[in-house]
Amino acid sequence: MLWRQIKNIVFTVFCSGSVLLLAAALLFFLVPMIWKGSQAVFFRKTVEFDKMQMELFRRGHPAVLEKITAQTNQARQPALALLDHFSRGVDTTLLSKEARSAYQQFGRHLRYREVSDEEYTRLREEAKDIRDAFLKAVETTDKTEAESFLDLVDAQQNNPSFQDSPFRIVFSLSKDYRQILQDIDLSRRSEYAAELDIVKTEMRKLFGPLPGESVPPLAQDRFGATRWDVAQKHLRYLIYQTKWVPSEQEDHRLIARQIRRDDPEEGIFGKTELAPLFSMVEQNLAAMLQPRPTIYWQYFLDDSTAGHYFGGAGPEILGTLLLTVLSMCFAVPLGVLSAAYLVEYAADGIITRVIRTCINTLAGVPSIVYGLFGLAFFVLMVGKPCILSASLTLGLLVLPVIIRASEEAIRAVPQSYKEASLALGAGKFRTFLTVTLPAAGPGILTGIILSLSRAAGETAPILFAGAVALGPIPNVGLHPKWLFQPTRALSYGCYDITVGDRLAMQVPHNQFGMVMTLILLVLLLNLAAIFLRWRMSRKLQGI
Amino acid sequence: MTTAVSQFDDAAVRFPRPLRLTFRDDLRSTLLSWLVKSFLFVVTFCSVAAVLLIFVFVIRQAAPFFMGDGGSAQERIREFFTSRRWFPEHQAHPEYGILAIIAGSFYVTIASLLIAVPTGLLAAIFLSDIASFRVRQICKPLIEILAAIPSVAYGVFAVMVVAPWLQKNLGFPTGTNALNASIILSMMAMPTIISIAEDALTAVGREIREASYGLGATRAETILRIVIPAAHSGILAAVILGMMRAVGETMVVWMASGNAAQIPSPWWDLSQSVRTMTATIAGELGEVPQGTIHFHSLFAIGLVLLIFTFCLNLLSEHFIMQMKKPKR
Repeated sequence: MLWRQIKNIVFTVFCSGSVLLLAAALLFFLVPMIWKGSQAVFFRKTVEFDKMQMELFRRGHPAVLEKITAQTNQARQPALALLDHFSRGVDTTLLSKEARSAYQQFGRHLRYREVSDEEYTRLREEAKDIRDAFLKAVETTDKTEAESFLDLVDAQQNNPSFQDSPFRIVFSLSKDYRQILQDIDLSRRSEYAAELDIVKTEMRKLFGPLPGESVPPLAQDRFGATRWDVAQKHLRYLIYQTKWVPSEQEDHRLIARQIRRDDPEEGIFGKTELAPLFSMVEQNLAAMLQPRPTIYWQYFLDDSTAGHYFGGAGPEILGTLLLTVLSMCFAVPLGVLSAAYLVEYAADGIITRVIRTCINTLAGVPSIVYGLFGLAFFVLMVGKPCILSASLTLGLLVLPVIIRASEEAIRAVPQSYKEASLALGAGKFRTFLTVTLPAAGPGILTGIILSLSRAAGETAPILFAGAVALGPIPNVGLHPKWLFQPTRALSYGCYDITVGDRLAMQVPHNQFGMVMTLILLVLLLNLAAIFLRWRMSRKLQGI
Repeated sequence: MTTAVSQFDDAAVRFPRPLRLTFRDDLRSTLLSWLVKSFLFVVTFCSVAAVLLIFVFVIRQAAPFFMGDGGSAQERIREFFTSRRWFPEHQAHPEYGILAIIAGSFYVTIASLLIAVPTGLLAAIFLSDIASFRVRQICKPLIEILAAIPSVAYGVFAVMVVAPWLQKNLGFPTGTNALNASIILSMMAMPTIISIAEDALTAVGREIREASYGLGATRAETILRIVIPAAHSGILAAVILGMMRAVGETMVVWMASGNAAQIPSPWWDLSQSVRTMTATIAGELGEVPQGTIHFHSLFAIGLVLLIFTFCLNLLSEHFIMQMKKPKR
């Protein structure tokens, strides 16, 4: 007896446990998705965000922005100057380029002064020797050799022929370089150059293009870190370098260790004049970027730049709304009338059974086969993949859902309503239109809302029938031209932003933001349906 | 006549016409109702037409693959179903064997059912026999929401959350594999299984349960020995419909299964990547030029999928009919 009781309790526990498991699964899914997605809307913005909004979306006050920009620029200035100075020493191409251009300008300068041919040739030769000495000094990796070349250059420093010419820049360059030589281990220059490249990239990611650089063509390179969390990430990348060291254990596997770039012992820039940069940026990052909390509600309206790097999901939301509403325009009349026939008119015969089987089949056809059919039929019919073909495909997909929901709703209308109407002399169809349909209205509406959410979430059917990752925003108007152009859609956008687009992988907040938008849309529709049903059941209970 | 409805008390006075119908009235209303009925029939027949059209157009696009040039139809079909080499893009010798791809579909489907059927069945029992009315009112929307979440959102969850977790905590070489896809698919198949199984369990009826309790059986015994055997056809239908959901699912498997056209070896190793029929179509159709053999071969896969789900559907319908049939 006890054994049976125990078995009974275990069974009950398992049953309740599976429901709890289900709830946990839902929670495990919803919480991270919504939480991570909400960071596309709620986050701490930086001054770069304001710049981006101003430039791409014409939003914000120019005067305020200018003031903040001036403040942050002032804060950034020492760090950027330090970086610039140091990179001159390491980046030899920059130095030699400047020396070469000084030499060319010197030639032009001489011609302008109209010196005699002999004089011109002599001065050019002299200048060329100095330039070559400087270039050799820059290129060599031996410190003493470099210094001897620099001595050659400096010997000519007081040569009056170069005194007022553009060529004197070379001497100041040489002076700079001599100073740099003091701190830099020339033999490690290529190493420095590689690391400096990373530092520069991270600085660009933090603060936008460095001073003196031209405006990059791509929007994502034009601004620094627009969000505080992104800034923190790049700060980490800026400060820490990964060093592969053999582990202490037997196998001596290489393990990654994070060390500061300005670590005096191990850091690559520890003993150079660049070392203060890292702590400078680390301590003053807030002053350099001015983070402030913000609610970026325009996320749901804004267009996005390539790869969804900046901006929001506006066109995707619009596309999804267009597709779903249009598909309902096809599916609802068909579905409700079919349901009316099946409930009110159809006799229980072979034809009705065939129809029912077909509706069930339609409900069971895999969504990707709808995609194939959409491509082979609707796209062929319309001429090209576009909104019309996509929404026709979606309409066919939700047709069985609507038929079933409407059928149930119509069946639930009490027989007495219909009998009352029939007794008053109304015909069958008139009874349906004026009595049954209004009474079944909320139920049908619930079905429509649920199929709206189904249509909004389906991706596979519209893959080939008119959804694109990037495209113009449909210009909805009276002229039906917009029906014949492809559109972006939330569901396809979710796929593309997570798997298809490399650039989007750098902006996980936008990836999750798009998914959250889709989930919220579907959840809202479902909650509306649940609420509607709850009100209906209360009405039926007579509360 | 509508005025008569609203002013019922003196209806007799306000009737615009005598109630007796003339022959013309009679004919008109008969014709009208016939017209309406045939109109509705035509509308309803759209669903039938749609099913036919789906079959016709998928077959039409798949036919050139079997009938097309280069090799006889028989050879093509044999290669299609028995070779496990799927290299449609190969320049000189493209190969179209979908055995590995069918196997991939089965792997994720069966594995997801292994998770979803026990859990779903137990949950259905909880909802039908154990939970109070109030608890049921809370659980139902929960399951509805689980069913309503778009597959692409589940796919993103699989790629961005589950895959890194699997890779980190279970030490798999890749996070996008058969196991990942199966876990997510089981989450998607569960609502279907639960709602239909619960219907089946509820349909068994109170008397049978009470008879069992009256004989002194515990709840577990009643459900396991009496209710489930009585509801077996409905439960089978639930399993089949859950299977259909898992087989036909595209986005999740495309994103989460890794898309390697191979049969895992050893055969039970779910940590390897597989590729399913749906993912193959979704992944390749966008990139092949229309009219090529590769293009038509994807429709052939679609046809296999369509026929398979059609058969499953007929089977589930058969079981549901059995469930609805009054016992004896």
